[in-house]
Amino acid sequence: MEPTELADRGPAEPVPNEIETDTELVEEELLVEEISIDGMCGVY
Amino acid sequence: MAFDIDRAYRLHDRVALRPEPFGALAYHYGNRRLNFVRAHDLVTVIESLAQHDTVRSAFASAGIDARRWPAFEKALASLAASDFLVVA
Repeated sequence: MEPTELADRGPAEPVPNEIETDTELVEEELLVEEISIDGMCGVY
Repeated sequence: MAFDIDRAYRLHDRVALRPEPFGALAYHYGNRRLNFVRAHDLVTVIESLAQHDTVRSAFASAGIDARRWPAFEKALASLAASDFLVVA
């Protein structure tokens, strides 16, 4: 049986668009992070 | 009210912004909330908001790459939702 085209490609590599999207998602998560200090002893 | 990039915003009078190696800490003395702002250029934008008629203008003036505007807009919307930013 002839090998399929898919088998010839080797390990899948992310395409550039996927890399860029991941970077944007990480940046969204890290830009601002809110915490509440209500109830913490000695803060105020 | 939904955050609008074409409006003017400013830091709430009761918010203090303290520079940190990662960006800045923003503390609201009214609602006692604390925000970590994890990008120096976002801090620059926040500090300059009061000098601009729109958020869009503040982004452009700070030299923020247009591809990062959606992430920055989302971050500022989060700050506005917590009352750290108010309409000017």
